[in-house]
Amino acid sequence: MHDGSGRIVVQNLSKQFGAVNAVQNLSFVVEPGSVTGFLGPNGAGKTTTLRMLLGLVTPTAGTATINGRPHSQLGNPARVVGSVLENEGFHPGRTARNHLRVYAAAIGVPDQRADDVLGLVGLGSAADRKAGGFSLGMRQRLALATALLGDPQVLVLDEPTNGLDPEGILWLRNFLRSYAREQRRTVLVSSHLLNEVEQLIDQVVIISQGVTRYYGSLDQLRKGQQSRVLVQPADAAALVKALQENGIQQVSPTPDGRVAVAGSSVQQIGDLAAKAGIAVYGMQEEHVDLERMFFQLTQGQYGGAPQGYPPQPQYQGPPPGYQGPPSGPQQYQQGPPSGPQQQQYWGGPQQ
Amino acid sequence: MGNLIKAEFRKTLSLKTWWVLLIPLVLVAFWLTFVWGKITNDFADFIGSREAREIAGPIGLDPDKLPVGLLAFAHGVNIAQLIPALFGVFALAGEYRSKTITTTFLTAPNRISALTAKMLTYVAWGAIYGVVSFGVSAVAVMVSVDSGRWPTAGQWLAALGGTVLASALVTLFGIGFGAVLRNVPLAVVLLVVWFLIVENVLVIALWGQTDILGGILPNGTANGIVGGIAADAFGINSLNLPGNVDHWSQLGLQLAASAPGVISWWASALIFFAWTMLFFGLGWLGNQKRDIT
Repeated sequence: MHDGSGRIVVQNLSKQFGAVNAVQNLSFVVEPGSVTGFLGPNGAGKTTTLRMLLGLVTPTAGTATINGRPHSQLGNPARVVGSVLENEGFHPGRTARNHLRVYAAAIGVPDQRADDVLGLVGLGSAADRKAGGFSLGMRQRLALATALLGDPQVLVLDEPTNGLDPEGILWLRNFLRSYAREQRRTVLVSSHLLNEVEQLIDQVVIISQGVTRYYGSLDQLRKGQQSRVLVQPADAAALVKALQENGIQQVSPTPDGRVAVAGSSVQQIGDLAAKAGIAVYGMQEEHVDLERMFFQLTQGQYGGAPQGYPPQPQYQGPPPGYQGPPSGPQQYQQGPPSGPQQQQYWGGPQQ
Repeated sequence: MGNLIKAEFRKTLSLKTWWVLLIPLVLVAFWLTFVWGKITNDFADFIGSREAREIAGPIGLDPDKLPVGLLAFAHGVNIAQLIPALFGVFALAGEYRSKTITTTFLTAPNRISALTAKMLTYVAWGAIYGVVSFGVSAVAVMVSVDSGRWPTAGQWLAALGGTVLASALVTLFGIGFGAVLRNVPLAVVLLVVWFLIVENVLVIALWGQTDILGGILPNGTANGIVGGIAADAFGINSLNLPGNVDHWSQLGLQLAASAPGVISWWASALIFFAWTMLFFGLGWLGNQKRDIT
């Protein structure tokens, strides 16, 4: 049986769909007691990775385990891991309560549990309505209720904020935080937008093109934020030389012909340029925010970034400056949006 | 496994499909049996008095006592058993359609147990549909056929057993067929068109060349289980008709039992079981390892 640790371990995981490498040699660990963000642009391999973790997709190589076991060896898996996946369905003709009772029976929990989880996600008054008439937001909540049926130790959510209104997102944040921290459980949340989950997560795994770009704490990633100064000098070579002679080493050219200087201030650079007799036509201070860093990590197209920019505490895989173009069509794993897209209340009780 | 079977029953009972399908099942089983009963009640007129005497003579029966009730019965339940086959199609293909297959696999210890629970549940459903169509057809026989031509108690029992067996098997066949195609509308259309039209046309069109097709193809063998029991009631089967009943009269007689080319009920059952296992096995293998994306 499983070890009950609540730990998710992904090790050298790879998946090929025909000629497309969806996931390449991915490794990371998710610990209990915190919410971990699983970030990457659409098509980065997030959904495929989560589905391999849940035993829905067979890996080409490597392993993905929960509590030290693959999904098929968890015994009664819904008691260990609950999941909210994209593209997960409900029979349109089945009521919310009956949907949950079907799976309550499969898991072996009392029927009362179906009503409990409906109340928990705020769908209590919609219990006898058919899922076919649910909005996207209500479907997300019903999916979460299904995930919670077995009171699992590990919760895996694929893009759970899709279709939620701001109130719903806030509710989800609070819910997941208390689930992870107060009950010391494991929560893994995927998203293609860092700012959607930034206030929700403590740890982060960033992948792009099927490869891990960063994994570690969000705080560490934040600390690495630094500003840089973009200088437009008359003579770039002379400026670089002058800066380097004065101990400012983090200098690099930008694609538009300017010089990017990190670890220095506008005043310092201005003084040095004046002393060296180099005309400066413009200087611009630039702060790199988390979102930009995420973009840089996942796209690898942010040229001119100095070394060590961003930090790489537990870094694996190619460097962030990695310039490889995205290969092949990247849309294969994102199913078309299903069901009605209109947004509805998430958070408060229904009607 | 008990939990998963309970879940599968809840899946079926929480939707309308199971009782909506009972409506055509009851209508088809009753009316086909009734109409066929009326026709075959005057059996001598139907296939010609010469044949009736030729059949009745060697097996020592009075033409007025020919057990045509069973022929009518077979006709009704054989067409009605399309319904449990369609019900089976929804079992797995329906879960792919509504995408509940993901949750089904995530809440079961493994795929083998999820599929096994589904199989056992649908065998039970097939048996239930079989019992219903037996009951309805039996009533239709009693109201359309003279009591002298009703089946004997033993034949009633055989008919019940055959109907339940055939119904359970066609349900499994439907699951397998749906699982292979994983497309509900396509599976439903192909199944109905093949069972009602294509195979019958093939069997009759090629009757001049061979009479084996009806004895080995899916529809023929599925129908042959109860049809074979009806044919047995006459003390005859397709390979052992009195020599002077010609080839085409044999077709007429077996058509009357809605099982042209039937070899015997148990041969039909075995061959149809093989068809069921073929499709069920292919569907199972396909779902055992398939990536659910």
